[in-house]
Amino acid sequence: MKLESRNSSLQDLFTEESARIQKQFEVSGDGKADLRDRTSLIDSVVLELWNDVTASGPVEGFCIAALGGYGRRGLFPYSDIDLLFLYEKEGREEFISKKAIAPLSQALWDLHLRVSPTTRTLAECGKLHRNNIEFNISSLDCRYICGDEKLYERLRTRVLPGMVVRESENLMQELTSLARERHQKYGQTIFHLEPNIKDGPGGLRDYQVACWLAQIAELKRSREWKEPGQLLPLPLRAEAANAIDFLDAVRCFLHYRQGRDLNVLTYELQTEAASRGIGLRGAQSASPGEWMRAYFRQARAILRLTTLFDEVPRTKSFWSRLRGARRSPLSSADFSITDGRVSLRKPDSVEDANVMFRLFEIVAQDDLKLMAETENAVQAALPRVQKWLATAPDLWMYFRKILAPPHAAAALRAMHRVGLLDLLFKEFRAIDSLVIRDYYHRYTVDEHSFVTIENLQRLASKSGDLDRRFRDILGTLEHPDLLYLSLLFHDVGKGMPNESHVEGSLEAVQGVFERLRLDSMGREMVTFLIANHLRMSATLLRRDIFDPEAVHDFAKAVGTIEHLKMLTLFTYADIKAVNPEALTRWKAEMLWQLYAASENYLNRSVDDQRMFLAGEDAKQLERLIPTGEDVVEADRFRNFLDGFPRRYLLTHSPGEISAHYRMYKRLGHSEADISITKRDHYYELVLATKDRPFLFTKLTGTVASWGMNILKADACANKSGIALDVVRFLDRFHTLDNNPPEIVRLKQQLLGVISGELDVSILMRRKFQPEKRPPKVSVQTRIHMDNECSSHSTVVEIVTLDRPGLLYDISSTFAEHGFNIEVGLIDTEGGTATDVFYVTQNGAKLTSARQQELQSELQARLQ
Amino acid sequence: MMMTKVEAIVQPSRFEAVKEVLTELGIGGMTISDVRGHGRQKGHTEVYRGREYTVDLLPKIKIEIVIPDNLVDAAIDAILQSASTGKIGDGKIFVSKVEQAIRIRNQERGVAAL
Repeated sequence: MKLESRNSSLQDLFTEESARIQKQFEVSGDGKADLRDRTSLIDSVVLELWNDVTASGPVEGFCIAALGGYGRRGLFPYSDIDLLFLYEKEGREEFISKKAIAPLSQALWDLHLRVSPTTRTLAECGKLHRNNIEFNISSLDCRYICGDEKLYERLRTRVLPGMVVRESENLMQELTSLARERHQKYGQTIFHLEPNIKDGPGGLRDYQVACWLAQIAELKRSREWKEPGQLLPLPLRAEAANAIDFLDAVRCFLHYRQGRDLNVLTYELQTEAASRGIGLRGAQSASPGEWMRAYFRQARAILRLTTLFDEVPRTKSFWSRLRGARRSPLSSADFSITDGRVSLRKPDSVEDANVMFRLFEIVAQDDLKLMAETENAVQAALPRVQKWLATAPDLWMYFRKILAPPHAAAALRAMHRVGLLDLLFKEFRAIDSLVIRDYYHRYTVDEHSFVTIENLQRLASKSGDLDRRFRDILGTLEHPDLLYLSLLFHDVGKGMPNESHVEGSLEAVQGVFERLRLDSMGREMVTFLIANHLRMSATLLRRDIFDPEAVHDFAKAVGTIEHLKMLTLFTYADIKAVNPEALTRWKAEMLWQLYAASENYLNRSVDDQRMFLAGEDAKQLERLIPTGEDVVEADRFRNFLDGFPRRYLLTHSPGEISAHYRMYKRLGHSEADISITKRDHYYELVLATKDRPFLFTKLTGTVASWGMNILKADACANKSGIALDVVRFLDRFHTLDNNPPEIVRLKQQLLGVISGELDVSILMRRKFQPEKRPPKVSVQTRIHMDNECSSHSTVVEIVTLDRPGLLYDISSTFAEHGFNIEVGLIDTEGGTATDVFYVTQNGAKLTSARQQELQSELQARLQ
Repeated sequence: MMMTKVEAIVQPSRFEAVKEVLTELGIGGMTISDVRGHGRQKGHTEVYRGREYTVDLLPKIKIEIVIPDNLVDAAIDAILQSASTGKIGDGKIFVSKVEQAIRIRNQERGVAAL
């Protein structure tokens, strides 16, 4: 039979068989069976045509092999059919081309098959083609179809293994370099609203690259071909095989549905795939959100294989090769760190929880990647860690060290990938790969939570004007770790049945608190942030942020400056983590405007916001009275709080207020009561005494004369004239750290200064040693005075370079002029001191003449 | 029937209310942009941590709708009712004639394309 007439019967056969295979897929949804049957169909077509062209006589020294996806029996409905026309040696091309290649290719094209033919000699197959590395890679999947079998055997058993062994390093580097470029093109993330399931990260191509790398390594080791899927590391193999079954089915669906080799999972096709249960067990219909959740889980399983890519050394210059692998100074007795990848010196060392947490701590510090063997060791050690957790004394101490460093998000992702995060916090499982399907939320909820943390940590490297403002706020936080903890769990409620996800998150986070054994201050802050995490964006969009009433309402709900800072950064990170374009410059500016207006409000209205027994605060004050107290004691407690600034209640816990009250009670027996307590990295001094002129100056002068650096201070007084000053200071020379009895001496000296037995100015002259080194940063002194924002006082805001003794200089300037500090709010950020004082003279605001006088005096002293 | 383009510059806080009343009138298609600017409500100077900063361009939302002439009065009334707070800075409405509208998908023209 002539080839032309054969074609029409072949066309019929092909069309009929293709339709049968497609129908079978529609019924079963089995992608793997579709690929296998389609490959066999094309094999039989090629064989038929081969029989036709050789009917008139054999073609010696020539064979046809399948390459690429067709070679590995994974031919998708509309994929190219890669064929290798292999002949033994040069000189017979024309004859073979005329006799076999041309008629066969022509016939395949006439059947409307997308053939991608390659003609090579045996010798050419044994060379590395740097300009066409794809050919070398596709030959790793070659499979005999027809023709000279011995010729093919030489290719398969000698030529290709020889080339692979010789060029293994180049092949691996080219493969991984192409994969990196491909990942770069897709933004290095599996999270896309419409992912490409073939080329995107976590797609079919990544699985293939992992198989090729494993095959090359095996050929190098044994010179034998093995089933590549079986060469993948055991812990990843089963998960990856399931993922490939899923993706095979999805790609078949996409090809059939679009009639072309298009591999983008569009929003519309996601809905259709979900309703048909494509890739799901039993082809069960699912909601689009649930189906996409399954997709992201499978993509993540494939992405785990890419840890193998990182283990291929990158192409290096001569000098880099000479210098050898870069070994990190973070390497230790437990870890070896080379070229940004960390491995364990003893795989079972991570059974010790200290080593396990330290591993993720160094990942968070240096943005390291875990080697595949390290991930496996961590997974194997999880049952031991679970046992340890039952008796873990202070999980927060371990966990906060992972949250604080600059690459915490990378560490959290790695912990999530290997199952450690879910083991520590079962609450997090509820949002594993959970999809919010609205074509706006780009990330799954778990990834969104990681991106929020990453957004804040990336602020450190941002240089834009607006980003710098948010970065400055971040630099002033007292407990950034609590902010990151809140971000990690703020949306876990989305995976829970509660009507409002905020309620769900607040319920779930109680379990987290218990496991971490978080203190009451930490719980209060995290609860506040989660409960209010939508408040600021709602205010931005639904209220006029330039309306003082709106600012007043918002600031009142937020309560304190620390809450405001945390909530602002939370909102910044949360909006930005919806998708990369969600936080427009317009929105970021509005957010900052609301922050600045609220910050000003909170700082400049404290003098007008005092609690008075006779006023509207009576009920709130009543609630603070400890239960079980008798009437006399309750009255005394009320008198203690009467007249304090409202912010006093907001910035101190009930436990602290109770401690302050005990100090107040002891005052009946002494001049003053002082407590000094060591906190995280600073000391907190609380002074309760009768208010008097120069008091704040005496306090700050005494502390400064000991060489202490004052970080923060709050000074206020109640209605009956009892002052309560709280000073946080840094023990720069470890005087108190190394000599605890000195705390007693500091208290005694302070008592002496307050009672007038000692002169603070003499102490300062004798003991205070100003810095000899020039300051590292320069800060221009700015003094702003405002008679509008408080109804009783003049607000003096001073921004200047911080230095030991600064506060003493400022407060003594006030005292020397006969001004009284009603409230003082002292803050130090890096090298900049920002101090706000509410000042009066004879109970009234300062006149403009006195303001000018004070301004020039302060300017002169602060130069 | 003739067509008219209505551009409304409104406070961000009033946008949801404006959108709702326009939807109630059956005007579903609109173009929204985040914009900044100022009219007679000039910017102002604020102080933040001792440093002065100027808020010279205020955030606003621009809503653009193209509607048949018979809906124009109702749409303007609806916007006026829903966007007004009575304060300076409530925004502006601009009305202009539209000569032609063409739907790109099927080349429908005129009111049918809206």
